[in-house]
Amino acid sequence: MILLVAAALAAEVAPASAALQAALEGELARATVLKLPDAPAPWLVIFDALDGTVHEAGAEDGALYRSQHAPFRNLRVEVRVGDATVDSSNYSGFGEPDGIQSRRLPVEDGQVALRREAWLAADAAYKNAVETLSRKLAGRKGLKEAPPPDYQVLPPLVRPAGPHPGNAWSAPEVDDLARRLSAAASVDGVESAQAEVRDWHGWRLRLDSTGSRVWAATGNVVVRVEAVVRRDDGSEVRDARWWIGRDARSLPDAAAMESEARALATSLLETAAAPTPKPWLGPVIFEGEAAAELFSQLLAPELVGTRPEETAPGSFFAPGATPMARIGRRLLPEGWSAWDDPSTRTGAAGEYEIDHEGVAPRRVDTVVDGVVRDVLMSRLPSKERAASTGHGRALGNDRRGALPGFVRVTAPRMITDAAMRKRAMKLARSVGQEQVLVVRRLTPAAMVQSLEVSVSGEAPMAGLTAPYEACLLQVDGSCVPARNLRFVGVDRRLLRDIVAAAPGAGRIDMLDGPPGPSRYTIGTTGGVPTSWDVPSVLVSEVELDPADGGEPRVLRIGRAGAR
Amino acid sequence: MKAALDEAATQLGQLKDADRAYSIAYSVLDHRALNIQGSHGAFAGMVPEHYRSVDVDVRVGSLDLDSTHKIRDESYFSGTSRPHWLVGFEGGADPLRRLLLRATDDAYRGALARLLKVRSNEAVKVEREDDSADYSIAPAQKRMDVPPDLVIDRAAWQEVTRAASAVYLEYPEVYDSAVQLVVTEDDRWLVNNEGTEVRDGRRHLRVATWAETVAEDGMALSVYDYVDVASVAHLPDAARIEAMVRQVAARTVALRNAPIIEPWNGPAILRGRAAGVFFHEIFGHRIEGHRQKDEDEGQTFTHRVGQAILPAFLSVVDDPTVERLANEDLNGHYVLDDEGVAAERVSLVERGVLRNFLMSRAPVEGFPKSNGHGRRQAGNFIVPRQGNLMVQAEGVIPYAELRKRLVAELGKQKKPWGLVFDDISGGFTFTGRSTPNSFVVQPVTVWRVFADGRPDQLVRGVDLIGTPLTTFGRILAAGGDVEVFNGVCGAESGWVPVSASSPSLLVQEVEVQRREKGNDRPPLSSPPVGTK
Repeated sequence: MILLVAAALAAEVAPASAALQAALEGELARATVLKLPDAPAPWLVIFDALDGTVHEAGAEDGALYRSQHAPFRNLRVEVRVGDATVDSSNYSGFGEPDGIQSRRLPVEDGQVALRREAWLAADAAYKNAVETLSRKLAGRKGLKEAPPPDYQVLPPLVRPAGPHPGNAWSAPEVDDLARRLSAAASVDGVESAQAEVRDWHGWRLRLDSTGSRVWAATGNVVVRVEAVVRRDDGSEVRDARWWIGRDARSLPDAAAMESEARALATSLLETAAAPTPKPWLGPVIFEGEAAAELFSQLLAPELVGTRPEETAPGSFFAPGATPMARIGRRLLPEGWSAWDDPSTRTGAAGEYEIDHEGVAPRRVDTVVDGVVRDVLMSRLPSKERAASTGHGRALGNDRRGALPGFVRVTAPRMITDAAMRKRAMKLARSVGQEQVLVVRRLTPAAMVQSLEVSVSGEAPMAGLTAPYEACLLQVDGSCVPARNLRFVGVDRRLLRDIVAAAPGAGRIDMLDGPPGPSRYTIGTTGGVPTSWDVPSVLVSEVELDPADGGEPRVLRIGRAGAR
Repeated sequence: MKAALDEAATQLGQLKDADRAYSIAYSVLDHRALNIQGSHGAFAGMVPEHYRSVDVDVRVGSLDLDSTHKIRDESYFSGTSRPHWLVGFEGGADPLRRLLLRATDDAYRGALARLLKVRSNEAVKVEREDDSADYSIAPAQKRMDVPPDLVIDRAAWQEVTRAASAVYLEYPEVYDSAVQLVVTEDDRWLVNNEGTEVRDGRRHLRVATWAETVAEDGMALSVYDYVDVASVAHLPDAARIEAMVRQVAARTVALRNAPIIEPWNGPAILRGRAAGVFFHEIFGHRIEGHRQKDEDEGQTFTHRVGQAILPAFLSVVDDPTVERLANEDLNGHYVLDDEGVAAERVSLVERGVLRNFLMSRAPVEGFPKSNGHGRRQAGNFIVPRQGNLMVQAEGVIPYAELRKRLVAELGKQKKPWGLVFDDISGGFTFTGRSTPNSFVVQPVTVWRVFADGRPDQLVRGVDLIGTPLTTFGRILAAGGDVEVFNGVCGAESGWVPVSASSPSLLVQEVEVQRREKGNDRPPLSSPPVGTK
């Protein structure tokens, strides 16, 4: 493993391409003067380029099933017509053009070739923007109150390319790590063990027609291991471990990850041997990674002040006109606070210097004494907030909206883990239970096996992804593994039922997407890096149902030599 | 694979259940591909791809009635899903063995459940029109023939595609374009419980180029040309690729300025490639065996065996064993199909009379055996598909003569002009009963031929449409030229490589309809210029 880290530190990212900037500068200038007869000219043109290398590998049981390593260059062009008060942005025509175009760019620095792609993207984006503005204005007819402005104009920002962390793993290292981790979790009794490794590093270059020229180093590394056990009764039990970081230095070394992968297999086999799950109604402790995921899933949407996209009046899919976050809403018990500050320098995956809209992030004290007092903002103003807080980010080429960066949640009073367990047992006894459910890990939103959280048919919405790892705390202090449970009817109000907090696991890095269904479809290694530092919590009452099922195997499938 | 299959067969054989798996087949495809692309004079990127996929086919029941039998009036949403398995492309045998056993277990339990539905469906529904069996016996095959890996000079091809793509910069009306080399290396393993053990593969290379423009009326125009070959030695050299690019660029610009023609009917010539696709769509898909017993299908030719369906000067064969024709490697060449059956030359139409169908191991009435046309893209069920469809003609005349016949036909029909379909991009057809049994062939290059002797005129904006029986009856003559269309065909069993070859055909009457067009204005500003 020492070898892996040494090699990782030695690996380099190509320098910021002056040729790329020069080519885009040329086309940006031409795009600003595009003009259709009887149509407005652009008031704002934004070119966002990504230039880097992606290494990706997937392995099962020690053998690669996917290995892709290639340079990557992409251009996102956004053209806006109108003005900052009302423009063509932030309108959803459900499949209709929206003024944003993206194209793959050549991976080498040919001026004409780069400019051609930018030229085609800008031309299409401008035409789409003109149509979008007319649809948006038509949809606004009859509105009694003018919506807030569509863009926060800021002085241009010029930021040259600084040093790049230069820590990308090499292709063989990524492949080798996937092999090793999947092999480590592949023990007798585990039906399948897969590892996915992704290393993306490069540059983000943002140019706009107001004069902003921003280079920013970007990238992250993601490692996930997932194992599945199929019980004799046919039900599947799965668990995973994952590591997300800005660079290889922020991850444990390969030997430590291998060790974790082996531990995953061991604990999974123990969980699979647990008795048939029963419905649960009672106190639940969310500890470590589960606590971070709990806050990420339930709290994050309540902190985002980005207003929904406008739609045609009467549209079936029309979202509400206001952001999900409400200033003044109680989210947490009295005394609790939450703030987001991606500008710190602790090495968290969710930290950054400049957001995707060219704004430096600042600390936002979102929850004070349990009540929402401020929200995370992009450059799309809302009724309550006119200014960006530097949280405008997005998945790929999507609309930029506010996303959490590095969120810290604090309780007014922390008790020890032992004290919290004691209190939980007392709570349990008060409702006739002799046990407490302890959830150690929740399925990350990105890795849910189905969209049950969003669509659950007849049954009440789960509202929270299923536990990966949980156990039932006994009176004697032992914790008996529990398996295959799903939450029932959870929403943000669960956070108000938190009755105690204990020291958490420290910072947890994760990958996420904007609030909404797309959050659950970003894939195992995609997403926007975010970080959470939260305490472990005791919730007074949570409901879970068994999620068992499946058909027993007919064939005996042992490992060679283990049959 | 063999060990896993034996292990699965032994375990399944020990089951008490009356419905045992009587047929188990494993297929593993190791797919490697490389796409090297140049655009606008720059190296656009090199995208490698490598995966290994597994197909497990388990049949429960008997040859006469098994779990694959069609369930009539089945809801779309109750259709049998087919899991797609990826397995490591490296490592030892045990991970593969275990994955195969898992897949077999899933497939067996799925088949058992489906057979239950099949039986109740048979009890509830009226008697089937075709009560032939669901599966047939085929001799076991042993074959070991792995083609050598292709050796590609990546740096050289990077330069070739870059340089060729720069040629388009000389044509300002070509807005978007690319030149690419796509290299595909497929290795296949096939075993079944009848003793078949196959390891073979396919090598394929395509040099392709495309150009796009927008006409002033908003019509989006695209011209695509390519060369398909099976070996590096047959790849075109840089000069030929440049010539191909220049031709595509010139054709794109010419099309942009060509007039649009209105919906029309009249006499036309389908040049070889266009005629090949025409036959692939309107004939080839309708003689695929499974459509003859599926009562949801139109069954245009099911009951016409022994009857004339084409003019007597035309015959049609499908022969996957042919590797090259008219100096071209044929895309539809293979030795064994995906059921491990040796590909056969099938004489479908002899001097106008329908004689045979394309068959997999699923029999149809009067055709109890496979002729080696059971094909699929990995991850799909196998059905009979075309391989190398060849239209053959007797009494052919030189193309120049065929053109004179077209002009003469114009005179007979008192039409001022006719059409020559020179090149096509593809086509599609509907074969079911719930939709009109029509076809669409999408031409790229169409020439207007005037009765009064004016020079031919390039036109745009039309698709060739029709229905099969009517159109077949109107083929008047064939030219002595034979051209090959290489492509991939998509249908129920996924995308499979095919070819279609034909001489040019004179048709007494075809119909064209206006083609779907874009509505965007051409780019508002001039393209960026320069050489680098």
